[in-house]
Amino acid sequence: MQLYARRRLVNYVVIALSFMATGFGLLWLMLVLSTLLVNGITAISPALFTQMTPPPGSSGGLLNAIAGSLLMTAIATAIGTPTGILAGTFLAEYARTSRFGEVVRFVNDILLSAPSIIIGLFVYQVMVVRMGHFSAWAGAVALAIIVVPVVVRTTEDMLRLVPATLREAAVALGAPKWKVIVMVAYRAAMQGMLTGILLAVARISGETAPLLFTALNNQFWSGDLNAPMANLPVVIFQFSMSPYADWQTLAWGGALLITAAILLLNISARTLAAWSSFRQ
Amino acid sequence: MATEVVAVPRAQTHRRGAGGAGDAIFRALTFAFALLVLLILGGIIISLVDGALPALRQFGFGFFVATAWNPVTEKFGALAPIYGTLVTSAIAMLIGIPVAFGIALFITELSPVWLKRPLATMIELLAAIPSIIYGIWGLFVLAPFVQEYIEPALINTIGEVPGIGTLFAGPPLGIGVLTAGFILAIMVLPFISSVMHEVFETVPAVLKESTYALGATTTEVVWQVVLPFTRIGVFGGILLGLGRALGETMAVTFVIGNSNHISASILQPGTTISAALANEFTEAVGDLYLSSLIALGLILFVITFIVLAIAKLLLIRLEKQAGR
Amino acid sequence: MNSPLAQPRSHETDDGMPAPPPNRPASDPRVAALRPLADGRGEAAIATSPAPPTKVDIRNVNFFYGKFQALKNISLPLYDRRVIAFIGPSGCGKSTLLRILNRIYELYPGQSATGEVLVDGEDILAPGFDLNRLRAKVGMVFQKPTPFPMSIRDNIAFGIRLYERLPRSELDERVESALRRAALWDEVKDKLRQSGLSLSGGQQQRLCIARAIAIEPEVLLLDEPASALDPISTQRIEELIAELKADYCIAMVTHNMQQAARSSDYTAFIYLGELVEFDETERIFTHPTVRRTEDYITGRFG
Repeated sequence: MQLYARRRLVNYVVIALSFMATGFGLLWLMLVLSTLLVNGITAISPALFTQMTPPPGSSGGLLNAIAGSLLMTAIATAIGTPTGILAGTFLAEYARTSRFGEVVRFVNDILLSAPSIIIGLFVYQVMVVRMGHFSAWAGAVALAIIVVPVVVRTTEDMLRLVPATLREAAVALGAPKWKVIVMVAYRAAMQGMLTGILLAVARISGETAPLLFTALNNQFWSGDLNAPMANLPVVIFQFSMSPYADWQTLAWGGALLITAAILLLNISARTLAAWSSFRQ
Repeated sequence: MATEVVAVPRAQTHRRGAGGAGDAIFRALTFAFALLVLLILGGIIISLVDGALPALRQFGFGFFVATAWNPVTEKFGALAPIYGTLVTSAIAMLIGIPVAFGIALFITELSPVWLKRPLATMIELLAAIPSIIYGIWGLFVLAPFVQEYIEPALINTIGEVPGIGTLFAGPPLGIGVLTAGFILAIMVLPFISSVMHEVFETVPAVLKESTYALGATTTEVVWQVVLPFTRIGVFGGILLGLGRALGETMAVTFVIGNSNHISASILQPGTTISAALANEFTEAVGDLYLSSLIALGLILFVITFIVLAIAKLLLIRLEKQAGR
Repeated sequence: MNSPLAQPRSHETDDGMPAPPPNRPASDPRVAALRPLADGRGEAAIATSPAPPTKVDIRNVNFFYGKFQALKNISLPLYDRRVIAFIGPSGCGKSTLLRILNRIYELYPGQSATGEVLVDGEDILAPGFDLNRLRAKVGMVFQKPTPFPMSIRDNIAFGIRLYERLPRSELDERVESALRRAALWDEVKDKLRQSGLSLSGGQQQRLCIARAIAIEPEVLLLDEPASALDPISTQRIEELIAELKADYCIAMVTHNMQQAARSSDYTAFIYLGELVEFDETERIFTHPTVRRTEDYITGRFG
């Protein structure tokens, strides 16, 4: 009986611990999100969206930072998405078993998890040093490099899911391979691919480190892509580490904005994924 | 029947071909972009090595073991950042792995079915929150809390024990290696947990059911059947989490204290490679200074590359085993 | 008997008469020519129904999945404007044989075929043969309905646009014509813009048939076209096949023997990769010549 009692005890302890672990995880999620909400909500005002980042000690908004982030995110997505889709298409359609394909997949997965600060360093070396100055272009390129592996992965996975009979039906009509891919397979995989793109955008929305070395920051409004450009993450970094209360409030406001955007993108991605599987 | 009038027009004569050149072009196009992925990695390696060479040539092997980091005298050594990176990641793993395991166990074995998806989603949301958010939260919320309550408690209890006590010595500052490690743990546990959860789900139900039928407890089923079955995947997931922890920048930068100093106590401030880069890069003046920072980046890249490569190879072996 | 294939074959028997090609049905004039007559001269005297022209002539075809030989030395004719059913137990090569006829197996490395398949006299298995021309001539409908994720109209237009650049109005006419011939027009004429996936299973399959015939092929390959459908849809498909056969040479794989008996003119029984018997459907199902055929038909094995 002693053995049995002991086994039961161990079991209860482990179960209790795993309840606690789950509670632990959820607790921090709630804490972070609620702190964000409480501290950030005071900063939310029309001024946040209409005024520029202020010099220390005065009030202002985050307009240039928001605009800069939106712009660089858009450019990064525009560069990284087609690149990722085409590379992922190659892996799924021409290299399912080839050695070259395996190497590319391997490298892609390394890039997927590589520290983003390294990517920032890389783009610094290749673009900022060459050009002689920080720029929004460099920032967009750094973000694009983060987008590419995500899109490659989801594109390949989604294309692989397209049923063989659908492809055969197109081939049986006499369609050349590229039309089978572009006009049939892409359409069939469209929702999954879109989900991947949304997740990639969510990921780069919060990235700070790569921008630190490429786009840096800009106190003022700048439409010049060849110059440093204001962006939310770096502004948050700068303002929150500072001793000025006004700046700190703005930092929390910016943090709330970013998190809200990311959560929205994630939820959209999940809804899209669920919706597509529902339609079948 | 053979003389029946053809009802269907036969339009064979005026057709154009369905296009063979398009295939070659499309294939070449997609190949080029797949190659680009390789070139990006190659470019990263080359540019890092190229940037780091001046510093490495200057300091040689000593770079890895020197502790001094002095922009004025231009003496740079990577030991403190490397030490900080390794220690914070170790703390993150020590806390993160058991918690991730507990969560994965809960979701797979203990949770009611309707709760599984929402729970998994919420844990994944932890991974979606960007590093900088953890950073400011850590600085403004966690660090003061740790300084106020946790660290004094630790100092007064374990800190008194001879031996281990040195790990928990020193004035309670809130920021430091321990806090950074703790935040890292929260950040990596969703990655480890979701990989574990995925591989746990691959265990055939019959295997678990037959073990339960023998009278085994949940713990025993997981420990003796599920874990051994999935150990490759679990290990791969852990390595993936480690790779993330090593490279995390913003969260760590906010709470580690940024002091280029190695201390036995984990309650003291320190620095990591990524924190050093984030803090000093934009203001670095002088070629040797810059080169030393890039050398730090190179070291980080090599470490994470090795960890991620092993993780990937393990996961490939797992897929081969599953017969994909 | 204008088919170019009615020429005497290479070897002759001792009589000086051409040897009958293997596996020709009893009604084939070359076989009829050998029926011994009272005067023993072996000349054609009996009037039997002349065999229709051969659209597709399959000659000594072997098929390999890697090292495994799935089809062994198959030879049979597919007659124009007739339905030829391939029957046999699962996994014995019926679909494999069908898929040779439009070379769709070439999508998969490791699968290969030897022998000749003459469509209108041209060997489509020849290495340089233009696959697009082949698939323009030989259409295929699959077991599971596979509408493209596009509108109904675009599903049909997809195939047409591969080959012809037509003005909008003409394209719409062709789409309508194809849908009418597939007996689907009345049901979808108001919703051409809706996705093909929104149709029922039976409608989707008729859409796939419309899509296949829209590009005006001459041969139709049907791989168990009704096996994924309910009985009412199945009946409609069978009715459709009966109409379509006036215009196409149709080869149909089916595991449903009653369907073969109902819908086809000729039947080929394939077992373990070999052609066991090929004859007019009526004859095969009432007086099969080979014992194995009889066993299969009467359900002694399945």
